[in-house]
Amino acid sequence: MGALNGTLIVETAERVCGEYCGKLLADFGAEVIKLERPGGAPTRQMGPFMDSIAGPERSALFAYLNTNKKSVMLDLAEAADQPVLERPVLERLLARADALIDDHAEPLTLPADLAERHPRLVHCLITPFGQGAPAEWQQARSINVINAGGWAYHTPSETTPDKPPLKGAGRFLSDYEAGIDAALATLASLYRQRRTGSGQFIDISEVQVQVNRVDCVLGRMLAGEAEPGPERTRYDMGGPATSFACKDGFLYLFMTTRAHWAALVELMGEPEWTKSFPDDWLEFHCTPDHVAEFRRHFAPWAAEQEKVPISEAGQKLGVAIVPVNTAADLLLSEQFIQRGFFQRLSHPVLGQGLYPTVPYKLSRTPVELATPAPALGQHNAEIKADHAAA
Amino acid sequence: MPLPERGGPLAGVRVLELTKVWAGPYAGKLLAHLGAEVIKVESRTNLDEMRAYGGVDVDAAPYFLSINQEILSVQANMKSAEGLDLIRRMVAQSDIIIDNLRPGAMERSQLGYEALRQIKPDIIQLSIKMWGNEGPLGYQTGYAPSFAALSGLNYLVGHEGDVPRGMNIRYGDSTVGACAALAAIAALHHRERTGEGQFIDLSAVETMTSLIGDSLFGWSVTSEVPHADGNFHPEMCPHGAYPCREGEWLSIAVANDTEWQALCRTIGAEALADDRRFASLDARLANHRELDIALSELTRDRGVLELGEALRAAGVPAFLSASSLDLCSDEALWSRGGYRMVSDHRNGTRPIIGPSWRMTPDEARIERGAPLIGEHNEYVYREVLGLSADQVDDLTLRKVID
Repeated sequence: MGALNGTLIVETAERVCGEYCGKLLADFGAEVIKLERPGGAPTRQMGPFMDSIAGPERSALFAYLNTNKKSVMLDLAEAADQPVLERPVLERLLARADALIDDHAEPLTLPADLAERHPRLVHCLITPFGQGAPAEWQQARSINVINAGGWAYHTPSETTPDKPPLKGAGRFLSDYEAGIDAALATLASLYRQRRTGSGQFIDISEVQVQVNRVDCVLGRMLAGEAEPGPERTRYDMGGPATSFACKDGFLYLFMTTRAHWAALVELMGEPEWTKSFPDDWLEFHCTPDHVAEFRRHFAPWAAEQEKVPISEAGQKLGVAIVPVNTAADLLLSEQFIQRGFFQRLSHPVLGQGLYPTVPYKLSRTPVELATPAPALGQHNAEIKADHAAA
Repeated sequence: MPLPERGGPLAGVRVLELTKVWAGPYAGKLLAHLGAEVIKVESRTNLDEMRAYGGVDVDAAPYFLSINQEILSVQANMKSAEGLDLIRRMVAQSDIIIDNLRPGAMERSQLGYEALRQIKPDIIQLSIKMWGNEGPLGYQTGYAPSFAALSGLNYLVGHEGDVPRGMNIRYGDSTVGACAALAAIAALHHRERTGEGQFIDLSAVETMTSLIGDSLFGWSVTSEVPHADGNFHPEMCPHGAYPCREGEWLSIAVANDTEWQALCRTIGAEALADDRRFASLDARLANHRELDIALSELTRDRGVLELGEALRAAGVPAFLSASSLDLCSDEALWSRGGYRMVSDHRNGTRPIIGPSWRMTPDEARIERGAPLIGEHNEYVYREVLGLSADQVDDLTLRKVID
C-alpha cells in the first residue's frame, strides 16, 4: 500500500523537473497518468540509450523518471481549421483528477480558466522564474537555472576566479530540486483539498527553489549580518574541509573542532608536524596559513591511504572522514544494500535494471517500484475508454 | 492568547520539532511556510548551535533568524524526566514529530516510535539521520559535505581533470529537509485515509544519492560509470559558463543548430558559424574543448547583462551566473516574494528568503520572524497542554522550563 493510494494525478509536464515531481508522487502510490504528445514526451528522445540506439522506449532517462506511471498519447495541439478532438478527453480527465502537474512556460490553458472549470483541482505549474516573468527568461535550461540561483557560481568551494562556475552533479540537479518543492507544495494542497474540497493554483519558480536552499547563508547577507560580494568563495566556511586524493580514489575530511583535530592526530599516529598546531587551532586560529600548512602535510599522508579502511578507522575515533564514493562504490556499500535503496525492476526493452529509489522509509507505506516506465500510449485504451465522450 | 490565523494548505496541522542546525529546522520551516503550526522544543542547557553562531545573544543569532520564520519556541529541559514528560504531553497534541538528533538519542529519552505511539497511536514520527536509523553504518555521524561525498553526488562535480571537489560545502542540508517535509506530508495523507500513523526513517546520504538517480540508472543501462564532467552535456553544446567583463560569468545552453547560428550571429562570430568543426551538434560535442576556448575569447570583453539580454532576445538561453551580490540586489526576487519582510524582535523587520511557491487562493501568511527562545511557552503550556499559571511558574522556577 502506498501513502497516496486513491489519488489521481494528471501529468502534462514534459521536462525533467515536472516528470520528477510526478515520479515522486507516483512512487508514493498515486495513480499518475502521463499525457504525451504524438511521438512521445521529449525526455524519451534524451539519452543515454540502450545500446546507444535512440528510440522512445530506449531512453534510460525516461525509464528512470517515469516509473509507476501510466502513459496516454493525446493530441492537444491547436491546428488551423481542425477541431482539437482530444481536448474533451483531457477535460474529462481533469474533472476526475485530484491534481495536474505541468511545467510549460506557456500552458495549454490559463491557470485562472482552469481553476474556474475545475475548482477542486490542484494545479501545479513549474517554470524557471515563475509566473509573470518575461517570456525569454522562461526558456532557461537546467544549467541556466543553477547559475541564476547562485549555487553554480559558488561551486566547488574555494574555486579560483579563472575557473567557470559548475552545473552541479549530472545534467539536472536544479530539476530534481524543483521537482521536490513542487511535489511538496502539491501534497500540501491535496491535504487542503481533502479538508475543504477545493483546489489551488501553485506557481513554482525553479530559481527560487535554488535560492531558498541557501537560506541561512544568503539570508544573513540579505539582512546585513554578512557581507555579500563578487567573490566565488562567499558561501564557503573557510576551514580545512575538502576532498583529498588517496590511493584508490578520494577522501573527504570535515573538521571544525578541537575534538576533531585530536582524533585526526591520533588517527595519523601523532606525526611530528602536528605539534606545531595549537590544540584549538580550528576554533580560534583557523587562518588561511594554518589551513594551507595543514593540507601540505595531510595530503601526502592521505595519498597513502585506502578510502574505506581509513574512513572506518577515523569514524571510530571521531574523525568526520568519509570516502568520496563512486557509483560503483554505492552498490557495494553494505549500508545501501541493507536499506534496499537500489531496487531491481524489469523493463520490456531495457531489461533488468537497478533503480535508485527514495531516501525515506515509511513503515506503513513503503515506496515500491511496481511497474517500469510505460511504453508510449500503453494505457490509451484503458484511459480513453473511461473518458470517451458520453 | 490564541495565535493569529495564517491560512495555507497545512492550516490545522501541528508539528513538534526536536531539531538542530539546518536539515531538521529547514523541514520545519517548509511545513510552517505551508501553514502548519510548528513548535520547536528548545532548552538553554541544550541549545540549537544555530542560536550560538555569530554572537552571544541567542535571540538574535543570524543563522537561526535566517531559517526559523513562523516557528514557535517552547522551552523544556530534555535532560530531566519532567521535561521529557512535558514533551510527551505535547506529542499527544501533535500530528507530526521531527527530530534530527544523534542516532539513539530519541530512544534513550523514551521518545522512540514505540513509546510515542502509546501516547498518540496515529502520530507520524520523522527521524532524519546521516545514514538513516538502521544498517551497519547507522552509528556514524557527519555534516552536509560528508553526506554529499558518501552519496556519490560529489564524485560527479568538479572541473574536468581536477579532484572531484563536489558541490559548495553548504549544499545538502536544506535538500534533506525538503525531502523530509515531503515524506511527512505523504504520511499525513495516509493517516487521513486510514487513521494510521507511521515512522519515517530518512537518510541524508540517500537524499543526495536520489539527486543523481538518472546518472546512476543510466550507468545500470550503459555500464559507463559516471564521473565529474565539468559543464559537459551530451546533448547540448556549447553548454557552460563563459567569462565576461569584470569577472562575471554567463551561462549558455545551446540545444540545436538554429540556436548555434543565432549565438554566432549575435556575438558577431561569423568565422565560428562557418567553422566545420562546429557545424553540427555532433561536431560541436566532439570539439567541445576548442569551442569553449573560442567562445570564451568572444565573451571575455562583453558585459554580462548586455550579452545575456541580446542572446535571450535571439532565442539562445543565456543567463548571468549570480554571485551573492547579484542575488541580494535582484529586484525580480523581491517582486515575487522570493525575498520578503517578517517581524524582528530587535530591528522591527527583517528581510528573509521566501518560499519557492505562490498559491492562489489561500497562501499561508509568513509574517513573524524566528521566535525568541521560549516565546511561546505560555501558548504551549497554558493553551495546548492546559496547565495552570501556577504550574507553569513552578516548572519555570525549577528549570524544567529552561
